[in-house]
Amino acid sequence: MQPNPTLAIVGSGPAGCYLAQTLRRSLPDAEITIFERLASPFGLVRYGVAPDHQGTKSIQAQFARLFERDNVRFAGNIDVGSVVTLDDLRATHHVVVLATGLARDRRVGVPGENLLGVFGAGQLTRTANSHPLEKPTLPPLGRTVAIIGGGNVSLDVVRFLIKTPGEFAGSDVNDVALEEYAAAPVTHIDLICRSSPEAAPFDPAMVAELGKTPGVQFTSLDHSTADGTTSVEAHPAALAALLPSTPGGTPRVRVRLHFNATTTRIIGMDHAVGVEVRRPDGQLQTIPAQSVITAVGFDCDPSDPLIGDRGASQETGYLAEGLYRTGWAKRGARGTIPENRHCAKAVAAEILEYLAAAALPAKPGYAGLPDAVHDRATDYAGWLRVDAAERAAAPGNRSRKKLPDHAWMVATARETVQK
Amino acid sequence: MKISILFGTESGNGELAAEDLALSLADGHDVEVRDLAEVTVEKISDEALFVFICSTYGEGELPNTALPFYTALSETRPDLTGVKFAIFGLGDSFYTETFGHGSLKLGAELEELGAHRVGEFGRHDASTWEPVGEAAVTWFAEVLSSMRLASHPG
Ligand SMILES: Cc1cc2nc3c(=O)[nH]c(=O)nc-3n(C[C@H](O)[C@H](O)[C@H](O)COP(=O)(O)OP(=O)(O)OC[C@H]3O[C@@H](n4cnc5c(N)ncnc54)[C@H](O)[C@@H]3O)c2cc1C
Ligand SMILES: Cc1cc2nc3c(=O)[nH]c(=O)nc-3n(C[C@H](O)[C@H](O)[C@H](O)COP(=O)(O)O)c2cc1C
Repeated sequence: MQPNPTLAIVGSGPAGCYLAQTLRRSLPDAEITIFERLASPFGLVRYGVAPDHQGTKSIQAQFARLFERDNVRFAGNIDVGSVVTLDDLRATHHVVVLATGLARDRRVGVPGENLLGVFGAGQLTRTANSHPLEKPTLPPLGRTVAIIGGGNVSLDVVRFLIKTPGEFAGSDVNDVALEEYAAAPVTHIDLICRSSPEAAPFDPAMVAELGKTPGVQFTSLDHSTADGTTSVEAHPAALAALLPSTPGGTPRVRVRLHFNATTTRIIGMDHAVGVEVRRPDGQLQTIPAQSVITAVGFDCDPSDPLIGDRGASQETGYLAEGLYRTGWAKRGARGTIPENRHCAKAVAAEILEYLAAAALPAKPGYAGLPDAVHDRATDYAGWLRVDAAERAAAPGNRSRKKLPDHAWMVATARETVQK
Repeated sequence: MKISILFGTESGNGELAAEDLALSLADGHDVEVRDLAEVTVEKISDEALFVFICSTYGEGELPNTALPFYTALSETRPDLTGVKFAIFGLGDSFYTETFGHGSLKLGAELEELGAHRVGEFGRHDASTWEPVGEAAVTWFAEVLSSMRLASHPG
């Protein structure tokens, strides 16, 4: 084996971090660099996982070890494909691994998706998390919203829309967006799920959590039955607990959960005015809404210079000699954070086998990249400056106030911000 | 005294705690760290102090990687009389009803089979952002001192 292999990982989300962790255990002397488009590491842990789920975000502490103790380099502010090409990385490193995730909202695949007033859940959750390359505030949603999709991301969106600002205590939510939204919040949400209440993909704990917000009335419509109703008892426990037997007072928000409802089109001339769904008996029904949010998963833009139109692979991380992929970029946008650890172990095994077998030429690694890359990159110490600035800026009932702008983050990382 | 640290983890926090704990004990103790996914129940004997570090998933379940071990315990029901163990549970208080239940289940099963728990039940709450390694090291120091007290009372 090469005495000192040089490895480049593109993307610092769970996939990239778990891979670096696994590789480091077997290759104590290898040079490992994680390249990241943003000045902050951790990917969707920071910018996807809901801001009111701080326990889930605390996995960052584990990944921080890589940079603080395990001698893994963080090269932030480097968008691979534009600032440096994949060919440059491959020419200078023995192994390059794409751990770039999948950020594009998957399309539902129905007419009307391009209408005004149709938004992807990825966009909204990035805004809620102050992603520096996303819009700083939510789009106008109106009073009635239809959400297509019955997964956990869909419930993250529902929770964001029904909670009041005071209920985000301890979070690092984007308060600018939240306050603007809270001035005219949504009063009706229709969540459209094509499966039955039993088969809906969402996590019971996430369903139960919805019930903690006061002033919200949940009702369930099972479209497989003649009158759209099913007894509460027929629902899985978490859902049944959500559905009150006797609704009291006037609710602040009404949430209707539609099951066995397949979206056939989004209705509207220029702007969406509703969603048409098909019931199991073939009948069509219209659900009026002033805006529509799609939450049916994520995929890759085929014009992406790295992954492009290569589909997912459940079998191998191998793409070409010395080129691999892991995480969502490999498996498709499926699975929680821990699944990326499992995935990293399998891909690391492929990489270790390759390094052990091949007679590799010397490759300079990070030092061999153009000076422009070195000049531009922000390092881990820079991220710690951003981290400190964000914590210091947090109001009393928040854990941090994120810097909402990429240039500002880079300047903070470089200490060029005027204090 | 030999110390065998066995971790059950899904997202890696338990492994980190196990490694940190092992590192803190390396001076003066014979320590090994193993993944519960790779440990068979026959391994559990009175020849070491077993330290279980285990998180919680699903609705109060053990992590996937620890399930085969746990299932084997409940199916083969080995006699663990004489076995000493300490246990540290990882969880998230966000899951109010099932906080730390994975390790509680594992600990209850070990005791049911005759093993003896030493020290307090350790707990880590992901929502606190407390470094899990430090929490495990602090907890285990207490376990050791309670064992010393027990063997040399007064
Ligand atoms: C809204 C949402 C909420 C979620 N909530 C949870 C949850 O509560 N619990 C849970 O377990 N899982 C949750 N998940 C799933 C979890 O986030 C994923 O399993 C995980 O993040 C996938 O890891 P990844 O590293 O493959 O992708 P990502 O986390 O997306 O990381 C990819 C990284 O690559 C960077 N990158 C992309 N392209 C380039 C490029 N060209 N050059 C340089 N860098 C690049 C990105 O900036 C990003 O940092 C959620 C997902 C979403 C979308
Ligand atoms: C899907 C999921 C379910 C969880 N369920 C529980 C639970 O029921 N009770 C609990 O205390 N913690 C629960 N947790 C929190 C984990 O136990 C906690 O994050 C822990 O630090 C993970 O440790 P590990 O990395 O060693 O697996 C859950 C986490 C996830 C992602």
